[in-house]
Amino acid sequence: MSNRGPGMIGGSHGSGNSNSGGNKPEWLQQYDLIGKIGEGTYGVVFLARIKSPGSNRGKSIAIKKFKQSKDGDGVSPTAIREIMLLREISHENVVKLVNVHINHNDMSLYLAFDYAEHDLYEIIRHHRDKVNQPINQYTVKSLLWQLLNGLNYLHSNWIIHRDLKPSNILVMGEGEEQGVVKIGDFGLARIYQAPLKPLCDNGVVVTIWYRAPELLLGAKHYTSAVDMWAVGCIFAELLTLKPLFQGAEVKATPNPFQLDQLDKIFKVLGHPTQEKWPTLVNLPHWQSDLQNIQGHKYDNPGLYSVVHLSPKTPAYDLLSKMLEYDPRKRITAAQALEHEYFKTEPLPGRNAFVPSRPEEKVVNYPTRPVDTTTDFEGTTSIQPSQPVSSGNAVSGNMHVVPNRATGATGCYCSGPSTATAEEKGPPWNGNAWIPSTAEVKTVLRSQLVAGTLKSYISREDSDKRREIPRKREGENRLSIAPIIDGSIMHWIPLISNNEA
Amino acid sequence: MHMANYIAKLGQQIKLRQRVVATAITYMRRVYTSKGMTEYEPRLVSPACLYLASKAEESTVQARFLVFCIKKICPDDKFRYEIKDILEMEMKILEAVNYYLVVFHPYRSLTQLLQDAGMSDRELTQFTWGLVNDTYKTDLLLMHPPHLIALACIYITSAYKEKDTIAWFEELQVDMNVVKNISMEILDFYDSLKTNLEEKINMALCKLPLKQ
Repeated sequence: MSNRGPGMIGGSHGSGNSNSGGNKPEWLQQYDLIGKIGEGTYGVVFLARIKSPGSNRGKSIAIKKFKQSKDGDGVSPTAIREIMLLREISHENVVKLVNVHINHNDMSLYLAFDYAEHDLYEIIRHHRDKVNQPINQYTVKSLLWQLLNGLNYLHSNWIIHRDLKPSNILVMGEGEEQGVVKIGDFGLARIYQAPLKPLCDNGVVVTIWYRAPELLLGAKHYTSAVDMWAVGCIFAELLTLKPLFQGAEVKATPNPFQLDQLDKIFKVLGHPTQEKWPTLVNLPHWQSDLQNIQGHKYDNPGLYSVVHLSPKTPAYDLLSKMLEYDPRKRITAAQALEHEYFKTEPLPGRNAFVPSRPEEKVVNYPTRPVDTTTDFEGTTSIQPSQPVSSGNAVSGNMHVVPNRATGATGCYCSGPSTATAEEKGPPWNGNAWIPSTAEVKTVLRSQLVAGTLKSYISREDSDKRREIPRKREGENRLSIAPIIDGSIMHWIPLISNNEA
Repeated sequence: MHMANYIAKLGQQIKLRQRVVATAITYMRRVYTSKGMTEYEPRLVSPACLYLASKAEESTVQARFLVFCIKKICPDDKFRYEIKDILEMEMKILEAVNYYLVVFHPYRSLTQLLQDAGMSDRELTQFTWGLVNDTYKTDLLLMHPPHLIALACIYITSAYKEKDTIAWFEELQVDMNVVKNISMEILDFYDSLKTNLEEKINMALCKLPLKQ
């Protein structure tokens, strides 16, 4: 993502209604702004410290400021989605949303997170360019275990992240939580339990290098297995310090076919076959681009030689299970946590940076570059001296031609009961009088006699318009919810105009 | 309740899914647990809730289109708001609901429960679904978890249609007293409809001070 001049951001907010005299809004005064640490299409990320006295004093906070969308459509859906999910989840290996702030004057939205000093992108780069040796076994294993642990939490809460890549896997710096992995950037994440739209409608998911083959082949329905593929790619990258499948992205809308990326995968893993992946033939691009796909022949599937692992090691076994072509056979986060690899020495630990064996050298990773010339409003005249590299940019939202959902996959059907304390209403004070079943029935019957509900019966048959659309054979599970209608109140003439 | 109807009407005009409307109504009710009607004008809060819900439920509606639809179904000047007003209110609603945006609805558990109870034939589903729809005109959704509301509606249906589901209810690990209470509240709600509310509410709304 190119580094835009901060002036541009300032420009979009500098309109007349901003606070006069540069007075900070109240919420902003609780922070000391340090500077800008990242930027993407969504907005800008700042580093700040908490000013208030108390245990949190001096604590570092990353503040993500969302740009006002240009088309005048308020808070961006990306921001809504991120707030929505982060507000509900809490796990040691998931980034923590500390606060949300709104500046009503310029209608901007700020999300405050616990600040993480490192991310896997920087760690890998540091080893590749500066240290010139691989990341030690203990660190790789601990990072991977914690990443899987966080992912397992998300998946068991029906959330797919959809944008896992090294720059989104944060690691805490010095302090109580040093070396703890935090999964970040939920701008593309979503709940997949009962989607109102086919998942592909949201367009681009997962940066192309980490994109699972079923997505590359145009799958309409996908599952949490896409995250596991990305984890596999990240695992390999941690081992070799190089992205595993570095395909050249085809940039076009809507959602072009990424042949080169697939080709890179096939080169290492060989072509998928129908025996190994039975549903392969149903994928749109597999059918339409068959000749292109099979244009090159690769005889020698050589994943182990690429990652320099013996095929017999537990590490290789785990990796190959993550990079399984068939998403239904691919290992899940929960299964991966139980894998042999994590039960052999060195065992994974909470602080990924401090090795279990003291003789091993601790690598000191560089801290994030901070551009201290920019303030919250983005008003600065000085260009940052170096590009702020965090690679954190969310790939732009492309438009995708909406596709009608076809072919039900069984994956959204059963779920845990929705018994949750979601409704944050006031506590309910129970009624002292509890009716028995018989009493309720008596009440119901008396109502029936009184005519409250009776009218429903007589009109029911004639009133075909109020039919609830029912699930038809072969129809997708997603479309069960009927459009607004079907209140039985409409059948009760009591509130209609005939009364008057 | 009146505003819930308004949201539903708007949603219908825009052809939004029921879940979006249900979420919008929930937001509105949550907003008014902390804010007064005079503080936040309900005629603006309603469309803004629908707008926010459409984003949260991944069926984003253009603000311009929403404003257009308001004009179409409510030519009355008191309902007229511009895009800017809706966007501002969207922010205020976000604050008022304290950024809790995930809402679960009884509908999904309802289908599963009905199947489980062997009551999934068309007529019973339709009746129960209607009952659930009507619960959005009450405060129940703020006070009880959605699966219990769904159960209460099934309970009413089975009592009303004289289906013997007592054994099935006994097997469920739920507090039947709560379910019964919810059922009673729903029935009370139908009772209260005997008095013509619509007019009263319209009168009350007219008395609200206009902020314009």
